[in-house]
Amino acid sequence: MSTIIERIDSLPTNEISGFKVRPGRPLPFGVSHVPNGLNFSIYTSAGTACTLVLFRRGEAQPFAELQFPANYRIGDVFCMVVFGLDYEDIEYGYRIDGPFDPAAGHRFDTSKVLMDPYARLISGRDVWGNEPNWQSLYPYRARVSFDDFDWEGESPLEINPENLIIYEAHVRGATKSNTSGVKYPGTYAGLAEKIPYLKELGINAVELMPIYEFDEFENSKLHPESGEQLYNFWGYSTLGFFAPKAAYAASGRYGMQVDELKQLIKMMHKAGIEVILDVVFNHTSEGNDKGPTLSFKGLDNKTYYMLTPEGYYFNFSGTGNTLNCNNPVVRSLVLDCLRYWAAEYHIDGFRFDLATILGRDPWGAPLSNPPLLESLAFDPILSSCKLIAEAWDAGGLYQVGSFPAFGRWGEWNGKYRDCARRFLKGDSGMVGELAQRVQGSPDLYRHSGRSPATSVNFITCHDGFTLADLVSFNEKHNEANGEANRDGGDDNYSWNCGAEGWTEDPSILLLRKRQMMNAMAILLTSRGIPMILMGDEFGRSQHGNNNAYCLDSEISWVDWSLLEKNTDIYHFVSSLIHFRHSHPALRVNHFEDSGSSLLPSCSFHGTESWNPNWSEQSCQLAWMMSANFEQDEQNCDIVYVAANMAHYTSWFELPEAPHGYSWQIRFNTGDDDKPVQDTLQPFVEDNGLLLRDRSVAILCASAAL
Amino acid sequence: MQLKKSLANGWQAIEVTGQVDSKTVGELREFIDTQLEEGMPVALDLHGVPFMSSAGLRTLLLLHRRTVEMGVDLAVVGIASEIADTMKVTGFYDYFTIYPNLTSLPEA
Repeated sequence: MSTIIERIDSLPTNEISGFKVRPGRPLPFGVSHVPNGLNFSIYTSAGTACTLVLFRRGEAQPFAELQFPANYRIGDVFCMVVFGLDYEDIEYGYRIDGPFDPAAGHRFDTSKVLMDPYARLISGRDVWGNEPNWQSLYPYRARVSFDDFDWEGESPLEINPENLIIYEAHVRGATKSNTSGVKYPGTYAGLAEKIPYLKELGINAVELMPIYEFDEFENSKLHPESGEQLYNFWGYSTLGFFAPKAAYAASGRYGMQVDELKQLIKMMHKAGIEVILDVVFNHTSEGNDKGPTLSFKGLDNKTYYMLTPEGYYFNFSGTGNTLNCNNPVVRSLVLDCLRYWAAEYHIDGFRFDLATILGRDPWGAPLSNPPLLESLAFDPILSSCKLIAEAWDAGGLYQVGSFPAFGRWGEWNGKYRDCARRFLKGDSGMVGELAQRVQGSPDLYRHSGRSPATSVNFITCHDGFTLADLVSFNEKHNEANGEANRDGGDDNYSWNCGAEGWTEDPSILLLRKRQMMNAMAILLTSRGIPMILMGDEFGRSQHGNNNAYCLDSEISWVDWSLLEKNTDIYHFVSSLIHFRHSHPALRVNHFEDSGSSLLPSCSFHGTESWNPNWSEQSCQLAWMMSANFEQDEQNCDIVYVAANMAHYTSWFELPEAPHGYSWQIRFNTGDDDKPVQDTLQPFVEDNGLLLRDRSVAILCASAAL
Repeated sequence: MQLKKSLANGWQAIEVTGQVDSKTVGELREFIDTQLEEGMPVALDLHGVPFMSSAGLRTLLLLHRRTVEMGVDLAVVGIASEIADTMKVTGFYDYFTIYPNLTSLPEA
């Protein structure tokens, strides 16, 4: 029998403040488990000395402070192994000494205890909305995580991007309402209870709005009139890039958020649903020179933030500071972070908030070949992760279609959203652009060799109106945000269908429902990756609020009772999602595709087949998509979509079905009683269909029954 | 934390009393490593445990591994509902067969 030989480095060499220690290893950064102890490693290029500060869980004052001996520093990294710590109970931070000279970019202050930027577990905001101790010496505390989750052999799903249908969700908003009927409302576990629902709906990826630890009390305030507590609800302001939000875990009070989130991901994967994270690397929650010193600011301000020559913070993010993403050290941090989430949490992809900031140089200028974006695109651990950019920022850089993609990056297609919205409400002059959008926007992506699935197509997302509000409001109604309706975008391209907001007028209500279905019909028959906002499949409303970032209330929570009330919309969307999954013609991922053996890949039509009306006044367009079925090359998939956004009924002549094929109508939003045609019968009027005003019909041609 | 071993319906029962966390978990592990008899199913009686920390739950999982290796059944008995809730949301619950008390254990 072999014996395990004890390593020499498993024993201490020195003693500091009564603790047995030895020189540590600089990598990995953060804290890691080593035999008999913990290895602490922290970087500061301009700091002159470093002290490890140890707290017992929840105690106001530290129980020990261990200054790193000079010989425990390698390069710019202080590293030390501390033996015999109760690693489940400790909270740790650092004090860094160095100059306080803001004009030179330095803000060192040994009175501050700083959080490890590599902290994988953070305490301090364990239960949502629990009023924090504002006087705390160390409000957000790094802890030691186990990272020993049992995945039982499960691994990321690697669904081809063109086959994805993304569902954008906010962890708390999704199930916080009592109507959700879950046992653990507003948590990872609560969302896990909705997995059977998501599977039935048919989506195969969930994109979670920020789940990196943030403080819901950041910039919190009371509504000036109602006195309602307003929070940082959305969470686009990161405290720790490696730690999941504790208050999103039912087990957060016990510090078990890491396990609970992993369990959610494991269950999602078992149901065939990928998990994509919305990540915010453009700024941190430390604000500008008026903001708090929590971590980066006191560790190495000049490295982590973009600073003006005078030492002020650049503000390309619109939130006070801008992370200095193309500094090599920060680049490594971002890369380490994403690798960690991909490897340790089995995350399938990332959506980067205000991603053009990631392509700016340390002085803010856009780079033509941004090293960070390139590193991410070619990283071996991230190679099968989806990388999706929100290709704009608050500093005016708009790169939809020109984001440096390195053959890998997808984009939230803001132009798709605007075009589809304008076409839907009957704006003239949109059909030409719509033809580009439904093909996956070749006008934006073809010239650089990108593919349709580069384009994440969406009509609504968290930022802006929900779908029901898009068809119910001409103007935003953000009074609940406490900023006198000044916040939120005004370019909504929305149409209320005849009355602003709530109405009992049955004809308006019917038209709104039709418009919601029209939007979904266009979205789900476009090439690229469709993305649906949570609850839009059953008409979720925010009562006209198009910027519910600060609301933790019925306005921002999904009202699941609408699922029953609007079961016809749900049935329509769910059927359409399943239709998309079974029709490869809608998911072709090449712009140069030669089509099926019978028809071109994509052709356009109008009220006359093969003759679309491209004129300025036209509000009518039909598209026919075709591809061979993979399993059955002899059999062609043919889908025809007619969209009549004119205010009058029109006869749409159908393209002749190939020999041996006949048309079947599958969806018709103009049929109030039966928008989903469940019973498959050959379409008898073989030469066309009468399409009601503001309606979409979807047909497919199959080999004759 | 106190540990007591007994026999119940052909199971070797480990009765735990007190909090199971990083401070006490070493003792429980030591007990599992040294006191278990091969070939006999194991029942972990937790009715005297008001709280289990993350480290405590991990020890349950280690015990699960150990019993799989031994080829015997493992039952968890008398678990507090709050602990069960935490186990459910973090995935630990799925590994165990749970019984309300020792007398409800099937004959082994």
